[in-house]
Amino acid sequence: MSATVAGPVPDDPTLRERIDDVFDRPASLRSMALLRLVLGPVVLVHLWPFLSDTLAGTTYDDHFWVRWWGFMPAVPGVVQVGLVWTGAVAAVGLGLGWRTRLVAPITWICVAGNLFLSQHHFRHNRAFLLFLLAAVALADSGRVLSLDARRRRARTGTSPTDPGDDLGTVWPMWLLRVLAASVYLASGFSKLIDPDWSGGLILWDRAVRHQHLVHERMPGPIADAVVELVTARWVHAITSPIAVAMELFIGIAIWFGRTRLVAIWVAIFFHVSIELSASVEVFSLAAIAALVIWATPSTRDRVAVVPDATWVRRLDWLARFEVREQPGATLRIVDRDGTVHTGGTARWLLWSRLPVVFPFVAVAHAVRRVRP
Amino acid sequence: MPASAADDAPHSSGVEQHAPVLGAVGSGRIVRPRWRARLVRGFVAVVLVGHAVLLVRGYADPHKFFAFQPFNESSTWRADIVRVTADGRRVPIEEPWPGGYDWDELVRWGVLEQPDTMRHAYSGLGTALDFLDDALDWVADNTPDDDETLYLEATTEAYRNTRGPEVLVLRSDLREEAR
Repeated sequence: MSATVAGPVPDDPTLRERIDDVFDRPASLRSMALLRLVLGPVVLVHLWPFLSDTLAGTTYDDHFWVRWWGFMPAVPGVVQVGLVWTGAVAAVGLGLGWRTRLVAPITWICVAGNLFLSQHHFRHNRAFLLFLLAAVALADSGRVLSLDARRRRARTGTSPTDPGDDLGTVWPMWLLRVLAASVYLASGFSKLIDPDWSGGLILWDRAVRHQHLVHERMPGPIADAVVELVTARWVHAITSPIAVAMELFIGIAIWFGRTRLVAIWVAIFFHVSIELSASVEVFSLAAIAALVIWATPSTRDRVAVVPDATWVRRLDWLARFEVREQPGATLRIVDRDGTVHTGGTARWLLWSRLPVVFPFVAVAHAVRRVRP
Repeated sequence: MPASAADDAPHSSGVEQHAPVLGAVGSGRIVRPRWRARLVRGFVAVVLVGHAVLLVRGYADPHKFFAFQPFNESSTWRADIVRVTADGRRVPIEEPWPGGYDWDELVRWGVLEQPDTMRHAYSGLGTALDFLDDALDWVADNTPDDDETLYLEATTEAYRNTRGPEVLVLRSDLREEAR
């Protein structure tokens, strides 16, 4: 149930004003901080094979490699040792948010430097990781959820719940939104125009080729049934166009408020499906984590009145709510425009904004809406 | 007693309240020197244009670098690679190699190891065969103790999205050591 109490009607900004807002209006950096927290471990996992090689005394130039550009001089293998180990240390700092303004660019330089040592280091998922790291480095992502933030608050005496504590310039987030959406669109469009892809041939062949991964990641009886299904040719005549449509849908629908939550859920399903059916290094985790950039960059602009705030506070990683605990009160959400939500609407609004429970709540919500 | 809706109202825009902290005036926007504002906008424009160029270029690039076209083919390939010696012999790389070299140890990359086995074309047939061509040159250049091989030659058998075979012969650069 909802009731509107107040609702200022803003003037429609011009395109020029919108662009200026993107570059110059400060907003919450919490989503970039959350992404940064995930990218620290992701970079370590990404670098591990290279670190492992250097521990065994092997560098990229001890075996086949290809320079990216003919004019590029051969880089000694010891440079790779420096890049991957410096990158690993910087990634730890990145995850902790320690000297973030310094370690985030260093992490990007090391990961990019290692990728550009040889063409055969290239993977699409690594290119995507570079985008994420660049955006985190360009934004002041250490402003919250970091040791830097703790140090700043100790110095200034501010509190994490102070409005403005997490504000900063967010054009890197908008740039990342464009790049991330274009990755889904580029991938989807290239498949759409390829009859072998949209007709199901390629996905079927992939499923047959990677069926062993299902056995590795699922219990025996379930895996057998899944393999039998996913290796059937007719299944892919149906699922391939759906897969293409999913990528295109994510790339477009994620831009619009009315369809964004559906697009995010579809993206999570899409990446989990890829992780189960293929080996894509750190892509699934990085891509799912990157979905936080689509949260509206403002914090505590809704009020949640709850009888017990413990779990809401623990799970509200994006600080979407100003949580007020009132023992005995029924759940009530006051939206940005002053609308007061209660009952099922309030529950949906609350739980759908908590990242870790969103995928499950969304399914329950959809089922409830479909049932008469 | 439950709080009234007015009591529950969220904070007014944190941007306005904390604008001075960020150096904004009036509109709540960050105030930057004009050169810096232009630099930021120019940087973003360059990134977006460069990204768009790479996305389009991917349709002509066998490697599809930064074009984000993953899982683009279900092609397969294999290759018979021989060392062609200065006296004209064609010796398969599986046989003993002067200097004790081993193809798999030289390339040490699963995509190109055991080339005589039919395998999935990593990132598409174009990528796999282009890297194989590069690998022939790299191996030819990095086997100094082999004084008999004039060049390496790979005869590839490929199936593009299950259709084929396509047969291609790739050769490395000529080696000075055997001349």
